[in-house]
Amino acid sequence: MRKSFVSVGALSIFTVLGLGNYGAAQVHISDRGSGKTGLDLSRFKSDSSKASSEFLQVLKTDLTRSGWFAFTSAGSGVALKGGCKNSGNQISVDCAVQQRGRGTLLNRNYKSAATDVRRLAHQVADAIVKAVTGNHGMASARLVMVGTRSGKKELYVADSDGQGLKQMTQDNSVSVAPKWGPNNQIVYTSYLKGYPDVYLVDILTGGRDRISSHAGLNTGADISPDGRDIVLILSKDGNPELYVKNLRTKKLVRITNTPGAAEASPSWAPDGNRIVYVCDSSGRPNLYTTSRQGVRGKRITSSGSENVSPDWGPNNRIVYCTRSGREYRIAVFDAGTRASAMISPADGADYEDPSWAPDGRHVACTRTVNHKAQVYILDTKGDEPIALTNYRGDWYSPSWSP
Amino acid sequence: MNKGVCFKVVLVCVLTSIIFTGCKRPGKKGAGLGSGIDGRVTAVTPVGGYGEEGGPGSFGMGEERDRFGNRVDSEHENVYFAYDSSQIAAGERYKADSIAQVMQDSPGMRLEIEGHSDERGSREYNLTLGESRALAVRQYLIDVGVESERIQTKSYGEENPAEFGHDEEAYRLNRRAKFQLFE
Repeated sequence: MRKSFVSVGALSIFTVLGLGNYGAAQVHISDRGSGKTGLDLSRFKSDSSKASSEFLQVLKTDLTRSGWFAFTSAGSGVALKGGCKNSGNQISVDCAVQQRGRGTLLNRNYKSAATDVRRLAHQVADAIVKAVTGNHGMASARLVMVGTRSGKKELYVADSDGQGLKQMTQDNSVSVAPKWGPNNQIVYTSYLKGYPDVYLVDILTGGRDRISSHAGLNTGADISPDGRDIVLILSKDGNPELYVKNLRTKKLVRITNTPGAAEASPSWAPDGNRIVYVCDSSGRPNLYTTSRQGVRGKRITSSGSENVSPDWGPNNRIVYCTRSGREYRIAVFDAGTRASAMISPADGADYEDPSWAPDGRHVACTRTVNHKAQVYILDTKGDEPIALTNYRGDWYSPSWSP
Repeated sequence: MNKGVCFKVVLVCVLTSIIFTGCKRPGKKGAGLGSGIDGRVTAVTPVGGYGEEGGPGSFGMGEERDRFGNRVDSEHENVYFAYDSSQIAAGERYKADSIAQVMQDSPGMRLEIEGHSDERGSREYNLTLGESRALAVRQYLIDVGVESERIQTKSYGEENPAEFGHDEEAYRLNRRAKFQLFE
């Protein structure tokens, strides 16, 4: 399991995409190769209980997956001290993180019910990532995706490591394109009532509302970062166009007006003002950005025969799916530098439906080989892809919780 | 009735010739809607023009029975499309003409046009593409005289294939607009 720094560096999968007139930067300098911090776990003591062993195993997996650490022996890098104790139904974790030259970065006690040990480990992993790197982790986040295990296309929710899989819908219909927004809300398209309508699910209460059901197409919904609005695609006016709908007042504002072209897949920028979306007005699907006031869309992609499925993530970066030749791959567009870089390997598989993890470093996506789809996690800094699902049926369209 | 249809056909011809000469966009494909004839935009007719969402007396919303009544058990030829296109090819028009004739002969009939895509590419984009195909056929029918309020669209994108293979022939048969009549 242990990886050396050299092998990680050699796994670089960044390439440069030509950007023609649309990209200011001709050469992309990727942010990979920043190396990993050595992490010494030898002074973290756990009792021999089943819960403590599980805690340690989940913590190690999370810290490895975070991409920031490589486990080392004593004496170098960051040391984790303290331990994990299971007494009765409780688990208690003392966690001290020390780094030579920086002193103590974290010193806290964490407790939970022993049955929640995995969630506790995710919480501690994210705290360690934050303390050492200053970055958000992804371990405590969850994902929603579509699975076909039951024979129908239902929504499922899983933890960041693919565990804790729960079937969320039992609609016996077709569920499409779930998006996890703020406030534990998920929006998706379902044919529950026979037509493509948009539904909003409250994860905590399990309540569900049909929030858009115009004649024609209602789809592609994405909740704004402040949780107040959704952007979505409607065809009620005779053509698929982009609209913003206020969730409280239900007020609808049309954003695009392209009678000869169609829009798809809108995604909010983190500032809650700009929107990236797909439009085929050039004859092929490409990515465009606009503002919620609906200024004329500005095209941002030019390479590849199809550019689809954008997700505007933290760090002002847009991850999307691009088709070059026969394959679909995942690329990242930096809205600041306007440079694009491929992040999925050229291994013959199709990579689609990317979604940023809340750490702004990893991307969940669908990987399809021989027409079988599973969800994978890609690393924008070059670590190898990780299979999130390995279940019966097809698993696709992942969306991370914030 | 015949006079009205004639007038509309003439109107479409006039409009089309204006558009051909006035608004030619090089390299433009018939994406989107209203691309009834040769992919040029002829018109965009609102789908939801018969009542607002959830409003009182909003015909055309809700479940199938609310929208249309009962399904008519009849078979009609699908209109097939090229990859990533919503243009109705010249060789496919007779199928739309045939359903237009049914609609004109039976004023009580309503029509749902299902739009579908093949399985390649983004599911979300394919939903839009399926809708564009259904709307292109709808606009064609409106242009030849069928009342807009009698036709609705429903896109399945790639979610409801007719053929489950993964070859070119299956893809071709899945890129379709399918007709379902109601009365």
